[in-house]
Amino acid sequence: MNNSLLVVLIASGVAYGTPLLFAALGELLAERSGVLNLGVEGMMLVGAVMGFWTVQRVHASTALTLVLAIVVAALAGTAMATIHAFLVITLRANQIVSGLALTIFAGAAGLSSYLGNDLNLADQPATRDFHALLPASMQNWPVVGPILFGQTILVYVSWACVVAVAFYLSRTRPGLNVRAVGESPAAADTMGISVTRYRYAHTLAGGAFAGIAGATVTLAITPQWVDGITGGAGWIAIALVIFAFWRPELCLVGAYFFGALEALAPQLQARNIQLGPTVLWTNSLPYVMTVLVLVLVSSGTARRRLGAPSALGFPYVREEH
Amino acid sequence: MKRRKPARAVLLLTVGALALVSASAGWGRSNTSSAAPFKVAWIYVGPHNDGGWSQAHDEGRQYVQKMLGNKVQTTYKENIAVGAQFNQTVASLVAQGYKMIFATSYGYVTKAVAAKYPNVLFEQATGTLVTKNVAEYFGSAEDTIFLSGMAAGAASKTGKIGFVVAYPIPEVIRHTNAFALGAQLTHPGATVRIVWTNSWFDPAGEKKAAQSLYQAGVDVLGQNVDSPATGQFAESVKIPWVGYDSDASKFAPKSWLTASVYNWGPYYLKRVKQAMAGTWKSGFYYGTINDGFTKLAPYGPGVSATAKTQIAVVERLIESGSFSPFTGPLYDQSGKLRVASGVRMQVLKGGTNSLYGMNWLVKGVIGSPKG
Amino acid sequence: MRTGVRISVERRLSQPRWLTVAVPVGSVVFAFLVAAVVLLATGHDPLPSYRLLFDAAFLQTGSLDQTLIAATPLAFTGLAAAAAFRMKLWNIGAEGQMYMGAITGAAAGLYLGGRGGPSAFVIAAMVVAGCAGGMVWALIPAILRAFFKTNEILTSLLLNYVAGYVLTYLIFESESYWRQTKGFNASVFPTGKPLPPSALWPGWTIHVQGGIVVPLGAGLALLAAGLLWLLYSRTRFGFEAQVLGDSERAARYAGVRVRRKILAVMAVSGAIAGLGGASQDGDFNHALDGDPNGLQKRGYGYTGIVIAALGRYNPFAVVLIAFLLGGLENAGNTLQGPSFPAGLVGVIQGIILFSALGGELLIRHRVRIGRRAGTVARATTPEPAA
Repeated sequence: MNNSLLVVLIASGVAYGTPLLFAALGELLAERSGVLNLGVEGMMLVGAVMGFWTVQRVHASTALTLVLAIVVAALAGTAMATIHAFLVITLRANQIVSGLALTIFAGAAGLSSYLGNDLNLADQPATRDFHALLPASMQNWPVVGPILFGQTILVYVSWACVVAVAFYLSRTRPGLNVRAVGESPAAADTMGISVTRYRYAHTLAGGAFAGIAGATVTLAITPQWVDGITGGAGWIAIALVIFAFWRPELCLVGAYFFGALEALAPQLQARNIQLGPTVLWTNSLPYVMTVLVLVLVSSGTARRRLGAPSALGFPYVREEH
Repeated sequence: MKRRKPARAVLLLTVGALALVSASAGWGRSNTSSAAPFKVAWIYVGPHNDGGWSQAHDEGRQYVQKMLGNKVQTTYKENIAVGAQFNQTVASLVAQGYKMIFATSYGYVTKAVAAKYPNVLFEQATGTLVTKNVAEYFGSAEDTIFLSGMAAGAASKTGKIGFVVAYPIPEVIRHTNAFALGAQLTHPGATVRIVWTNSWFDPAGEKKAAQSLYQAGVDVLGQNVDSPATGQFAESVKIPWVGYDSDASKFAPKSWLTASVYNWGPYYLKRVKQAMAGTWKSGFYYGTINDGFTKLAPYGPGVSATAKTQIAVVERLIESGSFSPFTGPLYDQSGKLRVASGVRMQVLKGGTNSLYGMNWLVKGVIGSPKG
Repeated sequence: MRTGVRISVERRLSQPRWLTVAVPVGSVVFAFLVAAVVLLATGHDPLPSYRLLFDAAFLQTGSLDQTLIAATPLAFTGLAAAAAFRMKLWNIGAEGQMYMGAITGAAAGLYLGGRGGPSAFVIAAMVVAGCAGGMVWALIPAILRAFFKTNEILTSLLLNYVAGYVLTYLIFESESYWRQTKGFNASVFPTGKPLPPSALWPGWTIHVQGGIVVPLGAGLALLAAGLLWLLYSRTRFGFEAQVLGDSERAARYAGVRVRRKILAVMAVSGAIAGLGGASQDGDFNHALDGDPNGLQKRGYGYTGIVIAALGRYNPFAVVLIAFLLGGLENAGNTLQGPSFPAGLVGVIQGIILFSALGGELLIRHRVRIGRRAGTVARATTPEPAA
């Protein structure tokens, strides 16, 4: 039963959806403050390569090294995000263009590749990587075994992050403030909330999460380094935030759904279930569904409750308000 | 307060830029010295350090560079897609004076490109185009893949084996069949499940494929793709693994069984020397175990002594020419007899019953040959 | 009231001409300086690398040919982005619109083409078909924006992926019309059906410096730039579009039909991108390229957006910048190999883009350092989100 298609798909969805979840949570925070960051893929890759580098070069106990690697990855992502933040918040540059420039700069043909080659990280397995945390006996429990207990610690950490971000946004003062900043920066400003500071903080936090997402790929899912190893996950994460109506708990559901879709085609093949152009559908479905969600969200009364932060994508210039 | 400073600064910068450009223009004209080294380039479809196909070619290139020293200047271009990017790469290599190009993936060299540069020698791997300045080269990897399949069959307890494959093209189908036939030799009745990744090199996709095969019940994994991701997964679930293209045992020291590896170096050296001496002739080269073109990578801990002996025996038979894996009777997945008893499949002759044209899977392979 | 040393940024009232040229140039220089620091810090010598770069991009024999090949698609996507962005319509979908134009353009070429030399009729049909394909794909986010107020940034971005999967499907996962199915070679690897000879786009050879081949697409891109410039600066359509971009409310008062404008401008934008796709078929690939590691890895659509921004949406500037960035791309391909650090081209491109973006600030704003009191925010409503 634990090898039935459904259980396997859900378990795979959780595992493969975790980098998506981390990246989406980070992008969600940035977007809630009004900053659109299209450079997620670049930030993930730089986090991935630096996290991998840490594991290969640091000679300490496994646990310590892995923790350090995650920290380094987060810092690397934050460093990338700082460039974007500086450009769009302080220098009021166009957020779309800056985000794309970041992807070009840090992405598969840019800084991450440069670092990967210069630091000689290719063609070697990770000396340490994340394995399933709980003992095999628990992993064999029916249904919940593989789905819940067969995961790495990063998955469990991601759950904690979802709870934390949700709590932060809905129940804490700063969380409510950032929502105000994203909806109406002028009003927030008059209330004494520093728009600049909140945007910086949340954009940088977004970078940290993206870095961790990248490290999840090179240290848990495919423990090696190749150029562009994240394979476009950053873009899916951006779509995921929209799909989840900018809500953390829905990010989790969406991430696992998208992750399961990724795993669907090979699973069907392995079981010799021929369903025609499966790959086309499973690959396109997340995007098509997100478009539909967007349309839903932007039309009619749903708009205000479920919509994007109103000031998303625009620099806030006090003198112009 | 008038701000002249930015204007001056910008002007200085602009002048500086122009100076830089003109200075480099002065240096720009490439000079050709006498006794110039022979320039030969390699073009890879993936990263030069992919731990698989392209890396094996790059090792061949390095072998040539080492053996010929400064008589030759080698370079490589990686991640070059078939089509316009390849053509552009060739154009820029030729403009830089490269006289010989090894194109290491199918579809790279077209008639048009070859005709455009009649004085450049092209060597195309795994293809079929042969013209005055285009030669083809490949080898009977199916023989060594057959042997590696034998190792897989011997290591399997249930007879259920998984195989991660790239594109549903005759080359991959042929290799899959070889693997399956080998497995069935040491483990009669073995089945081989396949999952297509639609890419030569895609670690994430290959891991998903490997995982899905494992969850569908296989107890040994093999591959015809270029990254070691399948092996890493096999190691993590403690099942044996057969690799491909190169010795990737460091990725899965306990799971590693063996792999069919290509030894491109000697062929490359021979051809470059011929080109330099002016004796290069076009043709279709199909290497074998005998001339060292293909061989098995060193065994891992999971290959039993019995299996080693069996493999050695069969290898001897192949080398001597007494045995070919693709000898009839061969049945396809529906049970129909495709190759009559005793008939040996040829490389090019025979349509869909030729090695290069084979588009059907043998009995015991579970999956579609159409992808 | 806050006092103390403040760096304040104020919008300029007028934008001095020299600055609009000096800043982009200055940012390129600045970028190369920063990249030199990066190179030095990682143990590479910047001057030889740069020399190689310029050489490979513009100076070597045949390099201009290659640069034009790299620049042509960038010019199309840059113009496509500029066309839409001028009106503050954020069409991020040039990538997907290009794929769709490639599909429809190839279909026209395959269907109508035959033997003989390049036929004006067939090529014209490919041009029209390519424009149509891109246009239709752009109309999806356009309609969603015009009628449902859905943010076009996100919808056009998402549709890029769908377009890519469709493109791959046509060649790699099906036996479609576009796929080469006959002949021995066809079964060995999925490829697009080659375009018949009369569907191949010609090039012009300029007899300078050993002969430079200008592909038809490059000529078409230049033509498109001219037409776009005319459209925006000399027609009522263009005038209304710009008013709409500045203020939707003002446009409505002036009687501009907003919905129609949105559809029309996105259609123009998509058509240009689609033409770029047809050019890929006719000029360079001579078949439909569905390889996920081929056209889809190049990122022309996204780079085009950045080019449009750098060129400040001026069509001629866009073409020029496309040429320069094409040179950089070409140089990167030429230099790629064991002795040139991989990923350097992306790093340099990124730094150029960052510098130019930062430099934008200098054009639009004046930076003052001094003692200033804090300013009081005026409570006016911000512009509605796009």
